[in-house]
Amino acid sequence: MIFNITYTSLNFIFFVLATMLVYFLFPVKKYRWTVLLAASMFFYAVAGYKFAAFILFTTLSTYLIGLWIDRVSKNSKKLLKNKKGEWDREQKKNYKNKIKIQKRLIMTLALLLNFGILAFLKYYNFFAGSLNGVLGSFGIHFSAPTLELFLPLGISFYTFQSMGYIVDVYREKTEAQKNPLKLLLFVSFFPQIVQGPISIYDQLANQLFEGHDFDFTRMKHGMELILWGFFKKLVIADRAVIAINTVTASYDSYNTFGGTTLTFTILLYAVQLYADFSGGIDISRGVAQIFGIDMIDNFKRPYFSKSINEYWRRWHISLGGWLKNYLFYPIAMSNVFLNASKKMKNTRFGKTAAGAHVSKVLPTSVASLIVFLVVGVWHGASWKYVAFGLWNGVIIMLSILLQPLFDGAVDKLKIKRTNPLFVLFQMVRTFLVVLVGYVFDVAPSFKQGLKTIALFFTDQSVSRGIAEINTLGLRYRDYLVVLIGTVIVFVASVIQERHADTDVRTLLDKKPFILRFLLLYFGLMIVLVFGIYGSGYNAADFVYMQF
Amino acid sequence: MDELMEILQELRPDVDFENETALITDGVLDSFDIVALVGELNDAFDIEIKPNNLVPDNFNSAKAMMALIEQLQDE
Repeated sequence: MIFNITYTSLNFIFFVLATMLVYFLFPVKKYRWTVLLAASMFFYAVAGYKFAAFILFTTLSTYLIGLWIDRVSKNSKKLLKNKKGEWDREQKKNYKNKIKIQKRLIMTLALLLNFGILAFLKYYNFFAGSLNGVLGSFGIHFSAPTLELFLPLGISFYTFQSMGYIVDVYREKTEAQKNPLKLLLFVSFFPQIVQGPISIYDQLANQLFEGHDFDFTRMKHGMELILWGFFKKLVIADRAVIAINTVTASYDSYNTFGGTTLTFTILLYAVQLYADFSGGIDISRGVAQIFGIDMIDNFKRPYFSKSINEYWRRWHISLGGWLKNYLFYPIAMSNVFLNASKKMKNTRFGKTAAGAHVSKVLPTSVASLIVFLVVGVWHGASWKYVAFGLWNGVIIMLSILLQPLFDGAVDKLKIKRTNPLFVLFQMVRTFLVVLVGYVFDVAPSFKQGLKTIALFFTDQSVSRGIAEINTLGLRYRDYLVVLIGTVIVFVASVIQERHADTDVRTLLDKKPFILRFLLLYFGLMIVLVFGIYGSGYNAADFVYMQF
Repeated sequence: MDELMEILQELRPDVDFENETALITDGVLDSFDIVALVGELNDAFDIEIKPNNLVPDNFNSAKAMMALIEQLQDE
């Protein structure tokens, strides 16, 4: 990085202000999108200049292949129209099939090229290492070299987003973009390039290309969202992560901690991960909103979910939506899966009540398991992430398969599904399942993950825990800040949960001016005073620079 | 239409398919329901629903589903 332009840096704020100024002053509305493109190129050049070639390659291959698929679709339609009356049904069907296969091949080319790059950069070393290990255990001393590979900034996100576009063109849900620069903006739009959300072309693209006028309410709401994001990220997440990093610093150091400290760390991680990721997304969405662009939300208070299934619809929503559209449906609705379900239905087992249910949900449950395996592997090249994915996948699979059993039990026990205590029980249960998944995220290895879970039950000691927690690099005061911050986020989440239709910022607009002013003023002060700004930038410095 | 209604009622007895017009947009049917439904519809109407048919407009109401089924039967 030439200079620091991460979303929480002062440079980034200046960069957004400058882009805003140029964007809204740009005289030709029709071409305002070029300002966003220039800004995105500048951002990428500064933040990840070494790897610009990768994103340009993805854009170019996506652009060309998109046009190619589009042309095949359109030409075939024209031909079918011309042959109307001339061809019989059979001939038409054969031709349609031929075109489908051709289009599918072209699409596969795009997927292989782009996911190939992602997979190579992300997993080469893992496979080389595993291969060497396996061969070594057979006494073969071959060593595939491990390479020093770096991941280009945002590669997962822009690859997913552009491949979603390719599939949409293939499915004729959207027309191919004819202007390569417009496509480049869609792929590289700076608020989303670092960590998403992964947008769908139809939802985002036109918003990017149409010129927006300055709008005070939008700007105010955008800034409030950014401030909220800064609060979650700088005050809570960046503080909590210091303690987590101390625990996970190395295999050896991780082993020295007792069960109480590890329990505490996993809980802290749940707070940190949500604050960090959702805070970052708030900043991204806030910035986009100032420019008049609504990006889809990535989080819907996921820790309030009543089942793991629901949790994954409320956590990292854009990735979930992507996987649902482009992976889950194609697998679950493939002939193989639907036929397997049909076949099972006709067996003797399939005729029983349990069998009928199992054969009906078979495609869904197996497809879910595959999707979660992919989610796990996407998190990182390591067995512990495979475990993380499988844990979630298996729970979902079992919950689908055993649904009638649970329903029966609830009915038998005469529990009302709307009973607040029952709802609370469901939420707590779901959160615990999520925490077990997090263990494999936090523990340095799969084995240590298993050991950690055992320690939860066998090694709880408050006095040892308190002694250890004091050595994690945070003072008592810091833990208090994290706790109060978490309570504030919790209260805001409950308010939002109760007003599903309007966002909290719109609710806030109806409050007296003085209250809003004080709230924002203190919010800003809290971020400035209690934010963690890394070494070399302490909060005092930052506050001073404001004068 | 009756056959479709029967399938829908069996799938989700708790939903009012006569009047509901935002089954997908409001999240009444989730992705698991949809996959189960697609299997049933393919069999019952001898059609092949593909992932590209899975847009909210095609599944938001029983009427919309019927329209999709008729369109696919024509192909």
